[in-house]
Amino acid sequence: MKLLIYIFSVLVFLCGCKKSYLAETPYSTYSPATLTDSLGFEAAVDGMYYQVSIYYTYSNHQGWPSVWQVGTDVAFATQPEGIEVPYYNYATLISTDAAADEEWTWAYELISDANNIIANVEKPGLTGLGASTVADIDGEAHFMRGYAYEQLAICFGGVPLVTQPLTGPKTNFVRASLDSVNALIASDLQFAAGALPDITAVPSNSAGKLYGRANKYMAMQLLAECYIRMKEYSQAEAQTQAILSSGRFSLVQSRYGVHASQPGDAFSDMFVYGNQRRSQGNTEAIWVLEQQNPNTTAGGSSGSGQQRRNWGAAYYKETGMAICDSLGGRGIGRMRLSNWVLYNLYDSGDMRNSEWNIRRHYWYNDPTHPALYGQPVPYNNSDTIYILCPHTTKWYCFDPNDVFGYATIKDYIIMRLGETYLLQAEAQVGEGHLADAAASINVLRTRAGAPAVSSSQMTLDFVLDERARELIGEENRRMTLMRTGTLVSRVMSLNSASVVNPVTNITSKALLLPIPQNEIYLNKDAMLTQNPGY
Amino acid sequence: MALAGLRYFAVNPAKRTIMRNCLPKEKVLALLLLCLVFSTALMAQHTTIHGRVVSGDSALSNVTVMVRGATGAVQTDDNGAFTLDADLHATLIFSRVGFQTLTVGLNGRHSVEVSLVPSNQQMADVIVVGYGTQKRADVTGAVSSVPKDRLSELPVTNLFQAVEGSVAGVSVSNTSSVPGATPNVLVRGQNSITANSGPYVVVDGFPLTGTNGSINDINPNDVASVEVLKDASATAIYGTNGSNGVILITTKRGKPGKPVIQVNTYTGFDKLAHVLEPRDGPSYVQKYKDFMTETKQVQTGPVPNQSELANYNAAKTTDWIKQVTQQGVTTDNSLSISGGSKDVRYFISGEYEKQKGAIKGYQYHRAGVRANLDIDVTNFLTIGTSTYYAYNNYDGGQANLLFATAMSPYGVEYNPDGTYNIYPMYPELLYTNPLLGLYTTNINHTSTLSGNGYAEVKFGGVVKGLKYRLNAGSSYLPAAIYTYTGRDAYNLLGQATTYNSETNHYLVENILTYARDFDKHHIDFTGLYSAEQRKYFVDAYTATGFVNDLLTYNNIGAAATLTPTSIYEQYAATPPPGNPNAGAKGSYQSKYNKLSQMARINYSYNDRYLLTLTARRDGSSVFGANTSKYGLFPSAAVGWNIAQESFMNNVRFVSNLKLRGSYGKTGNQAIDPYGTITSDNSVQNTMNGLTTIGVIGGTLGNADLHWESTTQANIGLDFGFFQSRITGNLDVYHSNTSGLILSRQIPSITGYASILDNVGKTQNEGIEFTLTTRNIVLKDFRWETMLNFSANKNKIVDLYGNHKSDTGNVWFIGHPIGVVYDYMRQGVWQQGEDPSKQDPTALPGDLKFADITNDGKVTAADKTILGQTSPKWTGGMTNTFHYRGFHLSVFIQTVQGLTKNDNDLNYVDETGRRNTPAAVGYWTPANKSNFWPALSYFNTRGYGYPMNASYTRLKNVTLSYTFPDKELSTAHISGLTIYATALNLYTWTKWIGWDPEDNYGMRGSTTWLSNYPEVRSIIFGVNLQLR
Repeated sequence: MKLLIYIFSVLVFLCGCKKSYLAETPYSTYSPATLTDSLGFEAAVDGMYYQVSIYYTYSNHQGWPSVWQVGTDVAFATQPEGIEVPYYNYATLISTDAAADEEWTWAYELISDANNIIANVEKPGLTGLGASTVADIDGEAHFMRGYAYEQLAICFGGVPLVTQPLTGPKTNFVRASLDSVNALIASDLQFAAGALPDITAVPSNSAGKLYGRANKYMAMQLLAECYIRMKEYSQAEAQTQAILSSGRFSLVQSRYGVHASQPGDAFSDMFVYGNQRRSQGNTEAIWVLEQQNPNTTAGGSSGSGQQRRNWGAAYYKETGMAICDSLGGRGIGRMRLSNWVLYNLYDSGDMRNSEWNIRRHYWYNDPTHPALYGQPVPYNNSDTIYILCPHTTKWYCFDPNDVFGYATIKDYIIMRLGETYLLQAEAQVGEGHLADAAASINVLRTRAGAPAVSSSQMTLDFVLDERARELIGEENRRMTLMRTGTLVSRVMSLNSASVVNPVTNITSKALLLPIPQNEIYLNKDAMLTQNPGY
Repeated sequence: MALAGLRYFAVNPAKRTIMRNCLPKEKVLALLLLCLVFSTALMAQHTTIHGRVVSGDSALSNVTVMVRGATGAVQTDDNGAFTLDADLHATLIFSRVGFQTLTVGLNGRHSVEVSLVPSNQQMADVIVVGYGTQKRADVTGAVSSVPKDRLSELPVTNLFQAVEGSVAGVSVSNTSSVPGATPNVLVRGQNSITANSGPYVVVDGFPLTGTNGSINDINPNDVASVEVLKDASATAIYGTNGSNGVILITTKRGKPGKPVIQVNTYTGFDKLAHVLEPRDGPSYVQKYKDFMTETKQVQTGPVPNQSELANYNAAKTTDWIKQVTQQGVTTDNSLSISGGSKDVRYFISGEYEKQKGAIKGYQYHRAGVRANLDIDVTNFLTIGTSTYYAYNNYDGGQANLLFATAMSPYGVEYNPDGTYNIYPMYPELLYTNPLLGLYTTNINHTSTLSGNGYAEVKFGGVVKGLKYRLNAGSSYLPAAIYTYTGRDAYNLLGQATTYNSETNHYLVENILTYARDFDKHHIDFTGLYSAEQRKYFVDAYTATGFVNDLLTYNNIGAAATLTPTSIYEQYAATPPPGNPNAGAKGSYQSKYNKLSQMARINYSYNDRYLLTLTARRDGSSVFGANTSKYGLFPSAAVGWNIAQESFMNNVRFVSNLKLRGSYGKTGNQAIDPYGTITSDNSVQNTMNGLTTIGVIGGTLGNADLHWESTTQANIGLDFGFFQSRITGNLDVYHSNTSGLILSRQIPSITGYASILDNVGKTQNEGIEFTLTTRNIVLKDFRWETMLNFSANKNKIVDLYGNHKSDTGNVWFIGHPIGVVYDYMRQGVWQQGEDPSKQDPTALPGDLKFADITNDGKVTAADKTILGQTSPKWTGGMTNTFHYRGFHLSVFIQTVQGLTKNDNDLNYVDETGRRNTPAAVGYWTPANKSNFWPALSYFNTRGYGYPMNASYTRLKNVTLSYTFPDKELSTAHISGLTIYATALNLYTWTKWIGWDPEDNYGMRGSTTWLSNYPEVRSIIFGVNLQLR
């Protein structure tokens, strides 16, 4: 009967420990509780930059960068992947659109991350963090939230406002008015501009100052764009003036950086990998999202950006041509610049149209074809559309260890001083200060060696033309035209008849994207009204 | 009509000896004989009659013995013995459920020994029912046994293949035939939407499910029986693991006697059963021409890519399918030795199986040993073990069947130096050489060490019928995957991945049982208290940037970068076989704990009226912190052995008739550890070139989450007619699942995509029918047919409590859980047709979709439910013919009424860039196809090309010959069978593609590793028994 006693003791033991026996503590995952110390906040803030980067490095649909360019005045699709098709064949732009869904989802994820930080850092009784640290963290989160809502406002108009973290499922969202969205963006960015450090005062890591982290000029530049959209032109100009007069930035006027001794010009130097950051000599850089080759630096890129492949030419298809560094690696030419950009946009002598910035000529470079080697490549048939199309060099990059090069390993220049002048000119046109606007634009044209313009030329359309000249390949052209309400008119007048994949059926509905159908379905306890025309 | 042969017909009598169930019958027999001697000595005069009733080798208890013409009756005891008073010339009537009633005249004898013949052998069998065994006749639940000959005769690499098509209500599907892959099993339809719906698999009392063990760990040759518990009465004793059905596997155990040596060996030859041939050269060239015309491009050459020109000009083509396939060969050798003395019994076995795939690079091999011991330490204490070790190896860099189908026939396979050309269609870089995988290293193996022991104490002296059993078992499962892709496979930096995991599991069970007969009352009680724990740890790394290809994964520290990563993310989204958690990143640990209590009472009266009451209470760590973490799962069942009733005495053709009914509740714990806790994801980022770690939103938790529960009602009928020439059973069931744990999508506005929630209800109802007929029974020739049929109707009753369907998740109230929801195809737009009223953007050659909403355009609102993804009904038929030593068995399986997306038809925007199957046509202005779209149709709507995936398969034909005993005895051989088997001989289907059962992945879906269609195998084997 000893056995019975043993069994009994086993039973008692099992009963006795049952409470803790069934308790659960994860070994391997963080929870929002992580946010309560300074290191936790630091990691949460860093997570927001990651979230921003996945917008640029998104590759589930390779045509993602084309979505924002084709079917506008600057480009048309040549090798469409699929996601961009509704953005020139506008009749197929419907409520299940993949790009609209991606834009929406991405922005609200960033908003959720920001809301978690704001709620925790503003929680009464938070200890262990200095006031300036709290301000920096709170400022960064407000900036990111404003950044996300600004994109939502441009793309969708009035959207549901979420400003607190959620602890459970919620399915009764309603759209706020555009005015209240704008008010939130303005207040978030005003807060950020006040709380964020000057670019000279950003924190450091062991490799130097963290210019990739938010500074107050980022908030101000975004605020300027938001004010212009709200037609608060003088407030917008106040922001751009403050950036320009800060003395922290200056236009790149001369050669610099890692390619300074090779053929090129000052403008093209800015887009060479290794030159793009403030720490690398780019005096125009306001917000540069840094990338590293993930094969050599862990976490170097959050995805596989498709910019080079979308913008670059598919010259590798030409017999006698080899993929190389100076031609920017392997492009596949998913889109081509519009004829308006290539043949009508630039005055002669404009540096921004130089061979170093928009490539129009090729020489055979494959030594295994000695008969061709070194000869100029002639244009045949549809070569200028698909294979040897003229293209912006801003996305050139090449990894000799990965010639196929699925990803674009290059910094993303999200904000630079060139655009500050353009935003200022746009505000000044809005205010009717045409001479000031001409002066703002002439700063850029002088740098580019283009003839100066006069106040009589100053219209919104001229500013948009100048934005194309300066920011082609960089700006999200579709958002610019949606923001200014000029998408339909400019497409019809400047890019309505491309030889392949022409724009069809564009109407004013394209000034807003459809609210994703799935969101309407899933938001079962309230109605998310659809935008007109979808 | 010959009514002989009522006794059980073992196909191989020699083998049956070790196949028989493992009750210690021999021991009982020994005791019995002692008793008999004793009782004979005490034999009284006059009218006291002593007797004993047996059936075969075993004593038979509970036999009712009556004197004809008198009232009153006695029952035989555990030893089959009885005593009654009677006239010496009286006639005795012996009756017992499941046996033919026997009438014996005493003719002056004082003692009799009679042998009862089972009315239905199946009803007399003892079957495993979970925490114990029961006679088939006493079972009140829906429990199906896999036919023993299916287990012993079909050469299979895993046990589920033997179950396939043989048990009504169990569906087994092979979505891929990769060597070593295990099939998906579903019992009585799908209850759960997002949780695992597979049955709970228990081997010798210890769970396989939840330990990360694989059915591959169990050597099919070791298996004595497989029972499938289907209704709530049978499964409720497994509580939170019961709702998807339970499969109980029992391995063989030793019996006293001379050692029995069993040697089984077979060799099989595999080929892809059906090859979806790609286009040949001229057809490929024509397709390119048509593509260029239809997409309005200027064609500058006969083939799409410059590198194809040389072969094209030389008219040299490559058969890529032939290049990636080979003659598959499977060999399996197993040896077992069993035997023992009265007190110590053993069964030990070993197996080695090796499988070379029908696609190059794929292979599987395994080795395993088992030792099952039973020791009677004293007359009240028995201890034993069930211990096994299994090693599964899935190594090999594999050829890519998907890319083989995409290759141009003019593609260049080899470089001048004889190595594989990386891009056979250069400058087309989308498709690499399908054989490049053979240049990659892929090490992938798992081991299982499972040690289980028991101790059983009989309290016969203190409380008669009371037994205590302690089961304690622990398993240890390490798994490893290492890969390397180097320069020859076009990774110019060299990349290695490592993955190691280990799972530790223990289970301790205290089981108390009490079984007694009081007159005609039989009572049987089982009580359980158990604790279970599983701990899992995994780490996975990717290393990139090696100096050369020398060190590979053997030194990942020698690479430039080392990142915690998800292994296989570059190859496949689905985990490789045997490694269910291969998606883990970096390192990860989890712990799962469970506490359980269970009580069951079986009561029967006079063998006619049966009652089973069960309750189980489970506490599981995975449930939400706001809940009690405990769930209670009760069930009740009744049975009525109608054939035993006296009014049935005159109904001669009925040999067995039993009505069963059950109602009960089971659970599904449905979630992984920590599934209820809100968590963040950590991410890597760089700042100033330095790696920094960030956290972003991950999973939104739900602390109120509890188990899913299913209530099920079941009515069943077991029958045997004409002296068991016709036997079978019929079950009808209805089940409701509520509190369904759904990974429910929520608006992205929340910042999260989904949350786990107890919402929703589903319903399953179905019918199962099994019929076995012995059509012809002659001395030398017999023909038997076994038929099973099951139909299940599954529907979603509610999702979020508001009776609204969820279009986003494709869940529709009133429809099955899995449906195909897509545009309705009406044909193809032809030239001259005006699409402006229906689909204004359509061009000639585009698929024509119905405008269901009649709004003049095709939008998402025009999608409709086109079919269900689970079969409406399935069936199996086995015909077995015996002529002397020859046996021929033919098994046909059918799966009907399901629709699946057909990826073999979907080439998106790659129609012009790759080769396509010859069977997949395309529209041209000339052929005006109304089925195939034009090559310029890029499927921008994401249409899934659903097709009817029903099929009927000639699954297995086996011809075997069993040598007669007399020819073998001189060679000390006690049994010898040779056989030849053909698997997957022919398939009848309307499906266009590789195989309707396959889940064939598209390019970019990263599942190409499992693109391995059904194989046809021819197998030759020998089963030899020595004594």
